[in-house]
Amino acid sequence: MKKYFSIFKISFAQEFAYRVNFIMWRVRNVLQILLVFFLWSAVYTNPQTELFGYNREKILTYVFGIFILRALVLSSGSVDIAGEIARGDLTNYLLKPINYIKYWFTRGISSKVLNLGFATVEILILYFFLKPEFFIQTNPLQLLFFLSAVILAVVMFFSLLVLVNFITFWLPEGGWASQFLIIVIFTEFLSGAVFPIDILPQTIQNILYSLPFPYLLFFPLQIYLGKLSTQATLQGLAISGMWMTVLIVAMRRMWASGIKKYSAVGR
Amino acid sequence: MKKFTYYFKVWWMMSKNSFLTMLNHRIGVFVFMTGKILRFVFFGVFIYFLLSKIDTLAGYSFHQTLFFFLTFNLIDVISQFLYREAYRFRGLIVTGNFDLVLIKPINALFRSLMGGADILDFFTIPPLIGIICYVGIQLGPTTGQVILYILLVLNGLVIATAFHIAVLSMGIITLEIDHTIMIYRDLTNLGKLPIDIYKQPIKGILTYLIPVGTMITLPAKVIMGLVTPISIAASFALGVLMIVLSLKFWNLALKKYTSASS
Amino acid sequence: MDKAIIVDHLVKNFEVVERKKGITGVISSFVSPKKKTVRALREISFSIKPGELVAFIGPNGAGKTTTLKVLSGLLYPTSGFTQVLGFDPWKRNPKFLKDISLVMGQKNQLWWDLPAIETLELNKAIYEIPERTYKESLNELVNMLDVKKLLNIQVRRLSLGQRMRLELVAALIHKPKMLFLDEPTIGLDVVAQARMRDFIFEYNKQQGATILLTSHNMDDVINLAKRVIVIDKGKILFDGDLRELVSRYAKEKIIKVYLSKESDIKQLEKIGKVKKIDFPQAVLVVPRATAAAAAAELLHHFPVADLTIEEEPVDEIIRKVFSGEVKVAKMK
Repeated sequence: MKKYFSIFKISFAQEFAYRVNFIMWRVRNVLQILLVFFLWSAVYTNPQTELFGYNREKILTYVFGIFILRALVLSSGSVDIAGEIARGDLTNYLLKPINYIKYWFTRGISSKVLNLGFATVEILILYFFLKPEFFIQTNPLQLLFFLSAVILAVVMFFSLLVLVNFITFWLPEGGWASQFLIIVIFTEFLSGAVFPIDILPQTIQNILYSLPFPYLLFFPLQIYLGKLSTQATLQGLAISGMWMTVLIVAMRRMWASGIKKYSAVGR
Repeated sequence: MKKFTYYFKVWWMMSKNSFLTMLNHRIGVFVFMTGKILRFVFFGVFIYFLLSKIDTLAGYSFHQTLFFFLTFNLIDVISQFLYREAYRFRGLIVTGNFDLVLIKPINALFRSLMGGADILDFFTIPPLIGIICYVGIQLGPTTGQVILYILLVLNGLVIATAFHIAVLSMGIITLEIDHTIMIYRDLTNLGKLPIDIYKQPIKGILTYLIPVGTMITLPAKVIMGLVTPISIAASFALGVLMIVLSLKFWNLALKKYTSASS
Repeated sequence: MDKAIIVDHLVKNFEVVERKKGITGVISSFVSPKKKTVRALREISFSIKPGELVAFIGPNGAGKTTTLKVLSGLLYPTSGFTQVLGFDPWKRNPKFLKDISLVMGQKNQLWWDLPAIETLELNKAIYEIPERTYKESLNELVNMLDVKKLLNIQVRRLSLGQRMRLELVAALIHKPKMLFLDEPTIGLDVVAQARMRDFIFEYNKQQGATILLTSHNMDDVINLAKRVIVIDKGKILFDGDLRELVSRYAKEKIIKVYLSKESDIKQLEKIGKVKKIDFPQAVLVVPRATAAAAAAELLHHFPVADLTIEEEPVDEIIRKVFSGEVKVAKMK
């Protein structure tokens, strides 16, 4: 356990060492949220508008929620597993008494802590400039469900990210391209980061709810906003848990067979 | 004229090499391309579903909003086609191979900016233009407006060029930031939708300072007949000014170049 | 043209921002950055005639590579006069660039995924080489460097040595009159180093190109250059014939004796500084002037089986010059 804490500290220090780079990364995050914020602000200009099950207060809370959750769920630092496999750097880790997956998970957590810290400060600044109406959830049960959903989302996303990187074991260039496709594009649109899933027609929604993506950002926020019944919440948590398990298992299996292939090449 | 032929010939050869290189990474390229197309389709579908329920977005109809998005894509895709090499610039600097670019008798900026044209982006341009025509016609523009649109899109490309040159110059001056070009992309992405949705001072900044609005929103507005002649003249002037400034910046950056040590 | 290169009182400074530690350090570096001036070149002056082969030697950070980079137009000189082939390198006139080439060990211009021939064809277009000249040069270089069979193989599939030879072809295909070589033998094995040196020598002889190379590999210097320019901490310490450098500053000679019987070190030390003693061999260092006398003493008083008198190795001399053990009077 102690060695992972050291990894945490080093990872934290490293990201912080490239301060300017990190700050620019935060600037990028703020820029990305601006479009989403102003888009929905324009749609719900009139505070009375009730659309897609949201009003102005709820939708703007949604947007800010996306901003925070992205820092918590989606930021895992610069995961270059694909690069390490392709370059053969993975060998260095195999020689050490360390679990490769746990190593990257720890680094991910360290990144999340740093990002979350900054995101919180930025939220306060943005709040003063944009002055949105905010919805605060007070029901403790809802908050508990929300937290559970977030934890499941964190693990789920991490497993997805890692297993996409593991594609590199079989396809050297497939890793980063797949990462782009799945982690950037699919996650961006299908997780609710740009728009809440419920603006889409019901049939499409149902298809999406069978995929893991909505459970990364959209589902936890729905719980927070109090838009789901307890039954729906529990159902969602079950599906979320199932996806998390599936992805963890897939990730582990890919690691096992990937390593065999990697060693066979004799790096 | 002779110089133009020279540069065109070299550009053609570099683009050919770029294409051949891509053939070596077929799978990655294919997956990447799929991602880009999906990004386009997803956002387009989103606009469709959004505007099927609400009638206007910041006063614009579905067709108009879509047209803003399409214009954004046109300028975005053309600049990525031409200037794909700018995304590899940091690698050139970090490895020190930029020295070998500077030493050649061909303009280093040209090589760094246009040395790796992305042929795949090129293939997506004709269908995109087709869609733009289809949607644009439904907005009923006059011939004059269409001509102005084309000119302003070209002006938008000029502004995009100035941005890219500035990004490259920054890449020479500081190695601290490894994704300056992506910051540029984030800024221009704000132009996916008409910049009228942004409140001041952001709207002002996006119109004059980091002129995403002049680049993208303005040409589209011309088709809708929403622009005054003064704005049009101002935007051309802005384009010229930005190119001049960015070139000065580039020359300044070269003076400060320290070259990676051996 | 009288001189190929003229450098007069060249100064090159680099501005480096001093980074302070911690968060307060970052903020203060942002607000009022503390700049430090690194004086890489402090008023150096020299000139080189066409066709000369000159070696720049000096320890790391001495300013050798910086000099090359200023001469090739990569770096902007802080002050002073620089002229190469009649041009101001900084202006980067295409005519100038067509006549020069810069080769740096680890840097490459060959397109990675393509056969080398594609890069060569591209260079042909960039340098506007006429077809016939191109074919001639290509043949010459390919034969000299023995890479004919490698031209059509993807560069990434080649070994380091093969790649470097092809990089040379790409760098020389336009028959430059002025060649800057930065550490040309770095990273190569002994055989490849010798081949590289032979090539450089041949190229200089056959093409009459002016060659300026930097190195801290002594074999490069000894075998290639008649003229050396010694540079350290941005200043030129010596500019002239290598042999002169050696004879002028090799103050000592080395006597190696093979003793047939174990001898007392203290007695040996009366004759000269004992550098190494490992029976049956002993190595002594004696001043040049008294070397013969010292040898006679040894033969007289010690059970010597064999004895040789040698010069100090060149790199030892140069090392002493750099570290200031040997004072060098400025050469004009």
